Amino acid sequence: MSTPFHLHNKVILVTGASSGIGKQIAISANEMGADVIITGRSKERLEETFKSLKKGNNGQLIADLQNQEELNQLVESLPELDGIVHCAGIVKPFPIKFLTQEKITETFDVNYSIQLLLMAQISRKKKLKKNASIVFSSSISAAHPHKGGALYSGSKAALESFSKVIVLEFSYLKVRSNCIASAMVKTPMYEYAQQQGTKEQMDEHVNKYPLGVGLPEDVSNAAVFLLSDASRWMTGQTITLDGGFLLGDF
Amino acid sequence: MEDIFEFIKKIEFEIDEIDEGMLQPETNYREMEGWSSMLGLIFIALIDTEYDVTINGEELINCATIQDLYDVVKAKKQ
Repeated sequence: MSTPFHLHNKVILVTGASSGIGKQIAISANEMGADVIITGRSKERLEETFKSLKKGNNGQLIADLQNQEELNQLVESLPELDGIVHCAGIVKPFPIKFLTQEKITETFDVNYSIQLLLMAQISRKKKLKKNASIVFSSSISAAHPHKGGALYSGSKAALESFSKVIVLEFSYLKVRSNCIASAMVKTPMYEYAQQQGTKEQMDEHVNKYPLGVGLPEDVSNAAVFLLSDASRWMTGQTITLDGGFLLGDF
Repeated sequence: MEDIFEFIKKIEFEIDEIDEGMLQPETNYREMEGWSSMLGLIFIALIDTEYDVTINGEELINCATIQDLYDVVKAKKQ
């Protein structure tokens, strides 16, 4: 088969794989031929994702990446990688007026610091193969923030910058790095956001999508493209997936 | 936990959009002029910061009056 739209002979690490977008990306990448290594904090939920991986030689590593030692151990046990998908993340809306160091640290640790520390360790331990592809799960709120988004939007904007620095620093390996900025996607995080707001607010928001809100597979299909050689000249970019939301009234 | 009048005083002091004397225990705060989802977020953050109690949007919506809200916070505080 001469099409580059597949992931055969690739080893791909997916973080935050125990639920939501990360889980679906692991499953889709595996379906497209990749050997997938998944990591997450919840043993039970990670096992559930692992069971959904049908082919190839896959692995699961339970790790709390906020713990430097667990992160180091994780990297130590990894094979060399053709792709990394960073999906670990949390969303906690909080107005500026009441921000504290504790609140900032809570979000930035999970949404930003661990991605940096993971890339630091992976590159130092030489686990990054030539032509590897890195994908970050970002959000449209990085460029289009909302009230209460100082933490979440800020952390995703920082992540998008980091993605570009990777391209510059690892150019000698021809490593590519891209982000997927998605709008509302039906995941457990969506359910959580719904609890933070109200159902009325959510319904009102959902009605602003010409194509409706997204499903995890809408994001994983784009991730598969970014991981595959089909996107081999694409780097330092952000793909917006929003079902038409940012176009405005319709 | 402090009584409801201290609770009201704190809200009126901390939230710029609400002036002193605007709130009574029986005030339906979500029907106040200028109520918005942002103000809802600020209420949630204030309660989180001052009382170390997490309430969600649905719980906030289920409270009609300041008294209801105070009761929820007090119950969670115990």
